[in-house]
Amino acid sequence: MSAVIEENVGSLADVTSGAINIKDVVKIYDPDGAAVMAVDHCSIDIPAGEICMIVGPSGCGKTTLLNAIAGFHDITSGSIHLDGELLCGPGKPQAKPGSDRIVVFQNGALFPWKTNLDNIAFGPMMVGNQSKAEIYDKARSMMADAGLSGTENNFPGEVSSGLRRRVEIVRALMNDPKVLLFDEPYRALDSLTKSVMHEALLEIYYRNKVTIFFITHDLEEAIFLGHRLIIMSSRPCKPKKIMEVDIPHPRDYSVLTSPRFRELMNEAKDVVHEEAQKAFDAGEKEG
Amino acid sequence: MSISKFTDKLFSRATLRGIFAIGIFMVFWEVGARSEEWFGYRFPFIGLVPPPTDVFVSWSGLIADPSYWQSWYMSFLRVFGGFLAAMVVGIPLGLFMAINKSFYGMAFPSFEVLRPIPPLAWVPASIIFWPTQELSIAFVTFLGAFYTIVINVLGGAKSINKQFLQAAQSMGASQWDMFRRIVLPATLPSIVVGSAVGMGITWEVVVAAEMISGGGSSGGGAGGGLGFFIWSSYVGGSYEQIIVGMISIGIAGYISSELLRQLGGLLTPWLKTR
Amino acid sequence: MDQLVDLLKSAMPFRMVPDNLIRDIAGICTQHSFAAGENIYNLGDTADDVYIVSSGSVQHILGVDSGTSQHEKTMRSGDIFGWAAVLEGQNTRLAATSSKEPTEVIRINGKELTRLFKTDPAVGDVVMTRFATMINKEFYVPRTISDQVPGFKQALVAKSLQGSEVTTMALTVYRISTWLKSPRPYLMLIGFAFVLGFWYLSVEVWKLPRFVDMPGPTEVFTEWFSEDPYYGLSIYTPEYYKHIGISLQRIAFAFFLATGLGVPLGLFLGWSKSFREFIFPLFEVLRPIPVLAWVPLAIIIFSGSETPVIFLTFLASFFATTLNTMLGVESIDESYSRAAYCLGASRWQTFIHVVIPGAMPYIFTGLQISIGVAWFSLVAGEMVSGQYGLGYLINTAYMMIEYPKIIIGMITLGVVGYTTSAMVRMMGDYLMQWRVRELALGDN
Repeated sequence: MSAVIEENVGSLADVTSGAINIKDVVKIYDPDGAAVMAVDHCSIDIPAGEICMIVGPSGCGKTTLLNAIAGFHDITSGSIHLDGELLCGPGKPQAKPGSDRIVVFQNGALFPWKTNLDNIAFGPMMVGNQSKAEIYDKARSMMADAGLSGTENNFPGEVSSGLRRRVEIVRALMNDPKVLLFDEPYRALDSLTKSVMHEALLEIYYRNKVTIFFITHDLEEAIFLGHRLIIMSSRPCKPKKIMEVDIPHPRDYSVLTSPRFRELMNEAKDVVHEEAQKAFDAGEKEG
Repeated sequence: MSISKFTDKLFSRATLRGIFAIGIFMVFWEVGARSEEWFGYRFPFIGLVPPPTDVFVSWSGLIADPSYWQSWYMSFLRVFGGFLAAMVVGIPLGLFMAINKSFYGMAFPSFEVLRPIPPLAWVPASIIFWPTQELSIAFVTFLGAFYTIVINVLGGAKSINKQFLQAAQSMGASQWDMFRRIVLPATLPSIVVGSAVGMGITWEVVVAAEMISGGGSSGGGAGGGLGFFIWSSYVGGSYEQIIVGMISIGIAGYISSELLRQLGGLLTPWLKTR
Repeated sequence: MDQLVDLLKSAMPFRMVPDNLIRDIAGICTQHSFAAGENIYNLGDTADDVYIVSSGSVQHILGVDSGTSQHEKTMRSGDIFGWAAVLEGQNTRLAATSSKEPTEVIRINGKELTRLFKTDPAVGDVVMTRFATMINKEFYVPRTISDQVPGFKQALVAKSLQGSEVTTMALTVYRISTWLKSPRPYLMLIGFAFVLGFWYLSVEVWKLPRFVDMPGPTEVFTEWFSEDPYYGLSIYTPEYYKHIGISLQRIAFAFFLATGLGVPLGLFLGWSKSFREFIFPLFEVLRPIPVLAWVPLAIIIFSGSETPVIFLTFLASFFATTLNTMLGVESIDESYSRAAYCLGASRWQTFIHVVIPGAMPYIFTGLQISIGVAWFSLVAGEMVSGQYGLGYLINTAYMMIEYPKIIIGMITLGVVGYTTSAMVRMMGDYLMQWRVRELALGDN
């Protein structure tokens, strides 16, 4: 972490791309059979460069929304636009996965058979627009920025899970995506590593402003990282409460004990707890 | 499933495609087999094979023949006999090896050393040892399934989550309880899978044994069985019957595996909910 | 003690350390007092301890070269300084410190602290990272300094792997040495003794009725290792090696052919849904037919006595390899191919870079099964048709009533079969270094 960070680093004014518009999206699984509605007329507008935290109990359909944006699932109705272009909607129920919206997966999807450096260079190498030397130079410098120097030639299985997550994020950033989609990426980490990862993520964010769509069930994580919290109701998934997190950036660990943080936690807690109780009673299986 | 769903599945794109490929295969077979007849030029390899239409004719004749079904019966008997024996010996042995570390240390290396020897290599030794031919075939059949079952039991037992055992202990379970209520049910899925694979091997061994001893220099012997049926068809020159025999064994093998799968499903209902 | 623990916990790097470790750290702390205006340490002094202010205040003047101007900072209760003591390669103080008023501090020896963290590298890692963060945030130091904070897990991992490669050989040597120290080899010998003993006793000593015609171990082993064997077959006769060689040749040919055809077929079957819908049913219809049931047909189709044998071996191997490869592809976690698509890879690129490496572990398990099955079929084939080879050897030995040769043949088969299987496994380990290393480090 460098000591020299610009003032007003939390401003989104300089980010020009990555605005997501989710309009009236509905997703029904198995329409002719069990007809499970996972997403119920969900509309969210995410401005470019925002860190948008999607909070909700397990199994409420948040991942479905993420998968729809990423292009892994289709939607039943509604539409999703990215910077005005249609991702999926009427006539095109499923988006095509692409490097403008990159996913960081829950259990990590670093290729175990490639070294960290090869993993990071993977995206641009596949696209093939730049020379190998260029790509690897950029990869090395991005690794250095993220504090990963020295682990270039290790395989993901040889290093700690926290480090793996950072490599995965850097891998995503190599492609200059407009949006990063996080699917509860820190769920499996212990709380010690988590706290370090949060600061690392913000650090990376300050350097490379992208829109972040982050799913989590951890309230503390959500308020610490996000510009805005969208609390979802339990299945079917629908925004129940939207909260602005007006704690200024850059943020660090001391934020966690600030009074404003406590206030926001209290505000959000009751809503989240209510939905969690509903999900528990309904016996939802984790998504 | 409702009727309409069933017919949907039956005529689904996937099934139709499968049937289509098999159909094309049959056509090529027919044309290749009759190449000499139709084109005056015999295709290599496939030209020597009896065509499917002849096979079908031969088969319809055999369905009425009791000795054909007798062969089925004999083979099934041998397969299930040997398989049951392998289970009766193999499952307890495997479980005991899993529970008792010292016994495992003594028995497993010897087991592993003997395992690479193919069961069929045991045939002559088996014939020398056992008084009747039937018993010697049974022994070799037993060996075939035995190894697979033991390996699968061990694998299943090893992968039991230690926490199940710890939970039981903390709730006051005795050794016997733990065995009966945790180790045994937890190894059942592996036993079921192992049985399905072992069943395949058993059929291979039975067929081979029937061909070798039935058709070999030892003459009549115990007689019968589908392997012997194939061999004698070959010796007797009715080549269509060879293919009838082959397909029959394939079907018989499939039926026994299915039976085992269903049985396994009954014993392990909790797996279905995955 | 509790006050000490609370103070430790209030220092940023130690904030998230679990209680038992905090108590251990508290145990190695020493307390000191300084009067107002007293010098604590100077630039260039030996950096041995880390300091935490308990009460009072300390003036901290950084005097690091390379361009940064001198910075003064006041440390108060809960603040940490003197962290040069935990930097790798930094033995001397980077700052001058003195107390501004009567001050109490606690000191923790840097080396002792490092030693404590080695007992729990995961926590040590986090604490050190927090140290680095704190140093960067609160002190104006060049990057080169904070980079000297050792990260534990990474350091341990990186050190052990940079330069020295975890080869299969090293792993094997390590495994062997651990194995020798356990009771296992001795139990194994006891087990062998039992089996051999039983064989010996039942045939040669007790002369049990069933075992009358069986050759006993003495007969077999004297025959096997004699220079002038009675039946003409021992390790000294070239004929022995001819049989082994021919069998190996057949296996090699059939196995490689089966692998060359089966792996690509299996990969496509697993990868392309359409292809699978067409071809898999056909495959599944042919597969249940026992390979040996093909013997007469093979003899009819292929001329000569060699080709049918190889065909049968090939067939058995082929089915096993294709099926296992297909299952391997299906077992790959979906996230990997999804990640590849996200990153801009095409379907074909994903196939090459994700599916093939991802399926490799399963492919190699399948190959081990495949070679076992190949031996099975080969022996059967050799017993029925063909000249030479271990199966043929066993069969003829039986016919010619040269029983010890049967046992020699069987044992040889076992050894050779095991060796070929081990070779396949080693090939797999060689090609999948990432797996070897992953497994070597245990769980992370």
